[in-house]
Amino acid sequence: MTTAAKTTTPPAVQAEARAANMRRLGGSAGLYIFLTVLTIVWLLPVIAAFITSFRTMDEISIQGFWSIPQQFTLTNFNEAWNQARVSRYLGNSFAITIPSLIGMLFLSSLSAYALARYKFRLNLPIYFMFVAGTMLPFQILLLPVFRLTNALGLYNTQFSLILIHTAFQLGFCTFVLRNFMKTVPGEIFDAARVDGAGEFRMFWQIMIPLSLPALAALATLEFTWVFNDYLWAIILLQDDALKPVTAGLATLRGQFNTNWPVITAGALIATLPTLLVFIFLQRYFIQGLTLGSGK
Amino acid sequence: MAATLKAGRLPGASSKRRRMNWTPYLFLLLPLALYFVWIIAPTFYTIYLSLTNWNGVDPIPGFVGLQNFERLFTKDRTFSEALLNNVRWLVVFITIPTTLGLGLAMIFNNEMRGGRWYKISFYSPLVMSLPVIGLIWGWVYHPRAGLLNGFLQAIGVADPPGWLGDRDLAIWAVIIAAVWRQVGYVMVLYLAGLKNIDPSFVDAARVDGANRWQLFRHVILPLLAPVTTIIVVISIIDSLRAFDLVSIMTRGAQDTQVLANFMYIEAFNNYRMGYGAAIAVVLFAISLIFIGFYLSRVIRDELEY
Amino acid sequence: MSRNKWFIAVLLMGVALLSVVSVLAQDGTVAYNSYASDPLPRAFDEKIVAMWNEQHPDMQVQHSIINHEDFKQAIRAYLLAEPAPDVLTWFAGNRARFFIDRGLIMDFSDAWQAEGFDDVYAPGFNALATVNEGKYFLPTSYYWWAVYYRPSLFEKAGIEKAPETFDELLGVCESLNAAGITPFTIGARFRWPAAAWFDYLNMRTNGPEFHINLMLLQESYLDDRVKATFANWRKLLDAGCFVEDPAALDWQEAVDDMVQERAAMYLMGAFITDSYPDELEEDLDFFRFPIIDPAIPVGEDAPTDGYFIAAQARNPEGAKAFLAFLGSKDVQQMAFEELGRLPTRTDVDISQAEPATQQGIQLIQSADYVAQFYDRDTTPAMAEAGMDGFMRFWDNPDDIDTILQDLENERLRILEEEAQ
Repeated sequence: MTTAAKTTTPPAVQAEARAANMRRLGGSAGLYIFLTVLTIVWLLPVIAAFITSFRTMDEISIQGFWSIPQQFTLTNFNEAWNQARVSRYLGNSFAITIPSLIGMLFLSSLSAYALARYKFRLNLPIYFMFVAGTMLPFQILLLPVFRLTNALGLYNTQFSLILIHTAFQLGFCTFVLRNFMKTVPGEIFDAARVDGAGEFRMFWQIMIPLSLPALAALATLEFTWVFNDYLWAIILLQDDALKPVTAGLATLRGQFNTNWPVITAGALIATLPTLLVFIFLQRYFIQGLTLGSGK
Repeated sequence: MAATLKAGRLPGASSKRRRMNWTPYLFLLLPLALYFVWIIAPTFYTIYLSLTNWNGVDPIPGFVGLQNFERLFTKDRTFSEALLNNVRWLVVFITIPTTLGLGLAMIFNNEMRGGRWYKISFYSPLVMSLPVIGLIWGWVYHPRAGLLNGFLQAIGVADPPGWLGDRDLAIWAVIIAAVWRQVGYVMVLYLAGLKNIDPSFVDAARVDGANRWQLFRHVILPLLAPVTTIIVVISIIDSLRAFDLVSIMTRGAQDTQVLANFMYIEAFNNYRMGYGAAIAVVLFAISLIFIGFYLSRVIRDELEY
Repeated sequence: MSRNKWFIAVLLMGVALLSVVSVLAQDGTVAYNSYASDPLPRAFDEKIVAMWNEQHPDMQVQHSIINHEDFKQAIRAYLLAEPAPDVLTWFAGNRARFFIDRGLIMDFSDAWQAEGFDDVYAPGFNALATVNEGKYFLPTSYYWWAVYYRPSLFEKAGIEKAPETFDELLGVCESLNAAGITPFTIGARFRWPAAAWFDYLNMRTNGPEFHINLMLLQESYLDDRVKATFANWRKLLDAGCFVEDPAALDWQEAVDDMVQERAAMYLMGAFITDSYPDELEEDLDFFRFPIIDPAIPVGEDAPTDGYFIAAQARNPEGAKAFLAFLGSKDVQQMAFEELGRLPTRTDVDISQAEPATQQGIQLIQSADYVAQFYDRDTTPAMAEAGMDGFMRFWDNPDDIDTILQDLENERLRILEEEAQ
């Protein structure tokens, strides 16, 4: 319920507190130096991968990683994109992630609406079941889900991944959305009911628009989660042409096992979508994380 | 604040309460159906499978009672190794990222110029997929040309370790890669927690003459306790689920086996589906303790209102 | 309630969406999953598929190349699934037998007869294809294992000839170490290169017959003969014969140690040349794994590769046609000429073989017994435990007793499971 709490704190108080903090810590140059060094060390693996991806393996293996690069090349990216089929894998990742997002957000807003708006006997038990499900170790589902997709003829289809992602994330999304929807005042709906709106119309035309901030936060967060899934992809798919980028990347090391520049180039390209989503939608991403643990 | 909202909620519904109201069930129909088919039923099916010697091929699993569990706990060395590694993972996860994340959150909670970019640096591992992290760290640990050994050699270490190839270091090397990702997560949660602290508490303490350490130790830390609890629970669950990094970096070789990967190997490599299911059930049972703990907090919060 | 019709309509749409069973178009294609992920075999694999597709526009092969090491794990899920891929690459021996026994591989005797394979496949390979009169596995090529080395580095260390006995091998290690060259490189991230050491040391110490009985789980891992094998292995470890931390490297990365002259030898299959720079192959030679006891027969590892059809294949007829193509003379001839894989058919022309290939054929033909490989000769679960044990031994040779006890426990467990 972080969002609600945030709005109840008078802005003036916050500003004052921040100003006090600034006085204490903000100005010190030592802090900046410390932070800059820490940040560089922290990002060193990424920086190393970045630099590697522009070099040639021959140069690295002969002169060592810590040598001054003699030449920069873009061929590694080209090779990763085309030969290593990262372009196709990325397309697959989107083909799996986007429908999963739509599915889980739509279905969880239905269940969240029911749990937030209605009093009925099974309300809390169902809610607790969803909450418990968010923490389930997915290994417990592995064998039955594998068997079930087979029985339904869904094995080796991206649809099976969409289904399991949708189902598995339902608990978390319902949990977040239900708590968010509880903060929406009931009076709004009373007015609508007087106007003769049906239950579904109230859901669709009132609750959904009001829940957009939470939906956006969830979508951002879930995008990275589903996009980054690896386990289900290797369990439920066998055609290389269907694999998302995570499963495709794992095979890079087999194909280019001694050519680290191509591997790192592929890894960096694969990270780009989630990184862009993150940089541009950072606020939502973080809101999503905090919403999920706000209680 | 939720209490006030709730009081104003649903005046329309109360007048209808005598009749059974099916509307919520209509809303729940589809999500619940999906949830039952893909989450709830499979959980129980795995529990059933764990009592069988199913090999993945036979149409009907053979019932063996608790035999799989007996073997796991009395005869299987790999299982105890995997369990130990999960415990190591767990201990590291609830200590190091929590401390580091809290420290960083304390720093970044202050308005500072360029703070956003520093923060992004620490968050960014969070949006990378674990296969990417596994590949990048595999390169860092590479014994010949990797970043780490290149550095060690440059500063004159004659015989740097083999990291992922070194039985004593490998699991820690994998865990460090996982920690690298986790710190940003913890930091986000603590930052949110800090923002929710009422500044008047802090000001009051300062007026009483508390120094910065006392302020942190006796005011801020206790106020963050609920966030800390959540972080610890999340960390525990994450460390029990650990699979991707091990699968990508070592495949469980060199004493890096964890339960999730061990289960995968037994089920899909050795066709011991019943046995694999038993491993999953053990994992589930351990998680259940923490799920229960977490759930009890949610229930308490719910019933308070 | 009339407003609720919207609600119901959306619900129905959702149900329809979620219950759509996306039936793949059964358009007569053949799904072919292959483990040929290294650059050269990959190019070859893609080439023969392209050849087929050109000849059969109405029966296209859908080709998936999966990373070799991932494939070995993932195939177990593929075969349990419905539908499975139609045709798959695989290994002869117990590794195929494991699937055959579980009814996961299709009998293609009819295609075998129709193609007249009985007449052109050498008897040994015919036997590898056969289980209980049925034909299940199509063996198409094999290769030898040997100790590959760089003659120039031997020269540098003052070694005059390749070692033929175990003592000579220890001497070579000593000379190379003295010259500052690591004797053997090995990249055992996926463990199997270490299994080659076990195979050879066990066959040289105890003979092929004991070895294969051990593979078939008919001998105990606590047998003194197994201990003797590990004692010999230990001599090599103590003499500093190996590169440090082999588990940190892929097998191809360890090749770099030879390329860059850090190490002189590598116990590896003939496919090492796939990953070896062409311009340096002049300075690459191999010798037979040294003899420990001249009194016992000589066994060699010569793994046979091939293909099979999954029992759950979507398109059995197409699969059989494609399999016949893969087993044809033309394809084997090409594999021989382009990849240096030895043919399993007697009618492939091998007269133009390079000297190295001749030498390899000679190596196999002079052997008293030909084994497949540790993880192909024994059962998958045993191979899993065994290779783990070899790596543990490598790091902690003192733990040999507990390691062997663990292997024995696994052996007994598998026997128990098989008895059920």
